[in-house]
Amino acid sequence: MTERHGHLIERPEYVRPALGRAVTGDVARPLSLAARLAEMDPVRKFTVLLAAIVIWEVYTRAAHVPELIFPSFDESIAALWRGLVEYDLAQQIWASLKVLAIGYAIGLGIGAVLSFIAVMSRFGGDVLGTLTAMLNPLPAIALLPLALIWFGLGTKSLVFVLLHSIVWPVALNTHTGFMSVPETLRMVGRNYGLRNVRYVAKILIPAAFPSILAGMKLGWAFAWRTLIASELVFGAVAESGGLGWFIFASRNELDIPSAFAGLLTVILIGFLVENVVFRNVETRTVTRWGMQS
Amino acid sequence: MNEAGGNPVRAGLVLRPEFERTLLDASRISQVERPLSLIERLWNVNGVRKAAVLLGFVVLWESYTRITGVPALLFPSFSQTCIAIFEAFNDHRMLSKIAFTITSLLMGYVVGLAVAAVLVFLASISRIWSDILVTATAMFNPLPSIAILPLAMLWFGLGTFSLVFVLIHAVLWAVALNTYVGFQGVSQTQRMVGWNYGVRGIPFAAKILVPAALATILSGMKIGWAFAWRTLIAAELVFGATARGGGLGWHIFENSENLRTPQVFAGLFIIILIGVVVENVIFRNVETRTVQRWGMQR
Repeated sequence: MTERHGHLIERPEYVRPALGRAVTGDVARPLSLAARLAEMDPVRKFTVLLAAIVIWEVYTRAAHVPELIFPSFDESIAALWRGLVEYDLAQQIWASLKVLAIGYAIGLGIGAVLSFIAVMSRFGGDVLGTLTAMLNPLPAIALLPLALIWFGLGTKSLVFVLLHSIVWPVALNTHTGFMSVPETLRMVGRNYGLRNVRYVAKILIPAAFPSILAGMKLGWAFAWRTLIASELVFGAVAESGGLGWFIFASRNELDIPSAFAGLLTVILIGFLVENVVFRNVETRTVTRWGMQS
Repeated sequence: MNEAGGNPVRAGLVLRPEFERTLLDASRISQVERPLSLIERLWNVNGVRKAAVLLGFVVLWESYTRITGVPALLFPSFSQTCIAIFEAFNDHRMLSKIAFTITSLLMGYVVGLAVAAVLVFLASISRIWSDILVTATAMFNPLPSIAILPLAMLWFGLGTFSLVFVLIHAVLWAVALNTYVGFQGVSQTQRMVGWNYGVRGIPFAAKILVPAALATILSGMKIGWAFAWRTLIAAELVFGATARGGGLGWHIFENSENLRTPQVFAGLFIIILIGVVVENVIFRNVETRTVQRWGMQR
């Protein structure tokens, strides 16, 4: 090995001749209108939706699928219009949403009280932990037959079942969120002399809001599924209202386009709640506070 | 202010007089630490407290039904429920019902996971597929899968196939959505490590994306399981109302129609048991062995 330290290699100097006029062509070129449109997210998604509808329509028309098995898009839309104008679809939607709102509000209240008790004492935490571990994996719909025995047919049974599907996910997520609030934030609250309700409301809830919101979303998803399922079972047991019943009744009368119209309505409501209501709440709270991107 | 103590002031620093503390009389402090009593030590064990809570519930339940004399038709006591569970397990039909429920669930779950995997793989390599996946999940995720059961029964007839179809729908969107979101959240550094090693296509997804996004994927799988479990019980209830299906949901429905409420409670108990085993044993174990061990989740 040669000792290289201190030996610098002197390279010969040179002068580059100036380049001629560059022949690189366009360095930047404006995108064509189609390419620019394809860059836009809503345009692409809308195209996908449109393509799905076109494929659906063409498939049912070309393959001559009987309306009884798989109605075409225009038949479904016509049935939706018919349902809204001539039949009582609007009333059924209203019935479903009303029960859902009642159940959701009461469920959130109970979930809040339970998590408040759980965060105030260790024993309360144990009670809530045991209850949620047992009752969270129990599908709420399994309680419907019992609810029918206890409360009879009607809104009360539905609300009872909905409560069960909302309380546990909300309480579980809220409690987990409260437990993972950093000690620093808790100490800030104690420093200000906040206690009990004000401590929970001003420190714990804002700090644990992403997790609470996740619980509320999960609770909504379970409640929505449970509601439709109970209306289906109700529909099978007795005549009651609601969207689930509308689907079930239409299917039983072999009015399949109406069943599709019911499904479209269910999709639409679910889409609105998840992508408009909850998205808005998220942007205004956790995203704005920088807790979630 | 500086003059108040009478201390000499040098360049804004206060020179405090030196002092020496005398030793305190240690004998006046009787006990610095004391062993906890047996009861306190027991109470500090998590399992003991939980067991006590559970026992408390059982006692409350039993005494409530005994004191108020609620008929077993409405609300069976704990002992009656236990007898019903015992009877149910002695009956070979119960085992076949449980087997029926679990087989349909597994079939739906596995196929749903596979379809989700294919969709997410396509979505992560091409933009048009990602648009299709995002649009489809946005539309179908809020659609309760039980709502398509009436149609599935029309298309595929009564039977396991309709059940599995509905279960696939319940699992697919939740898993696909979470996996896709997880894949998108994989950091560029980890992706570049993969490219550096020349990993492409399926090995890239399997070796880089899946491990990096496993926390999200697992939470999607848990939500998918929860939806599937709820859908399955609901589907069996509806089946029970329209035809003779089988399975635990049907067991509950049948027994509640016959007003054998203790048997209904036994069915609920078994459903809770399966749910607890899946959520607190299987998923918990998978989590401790993967994401928690890798330090991705506490």
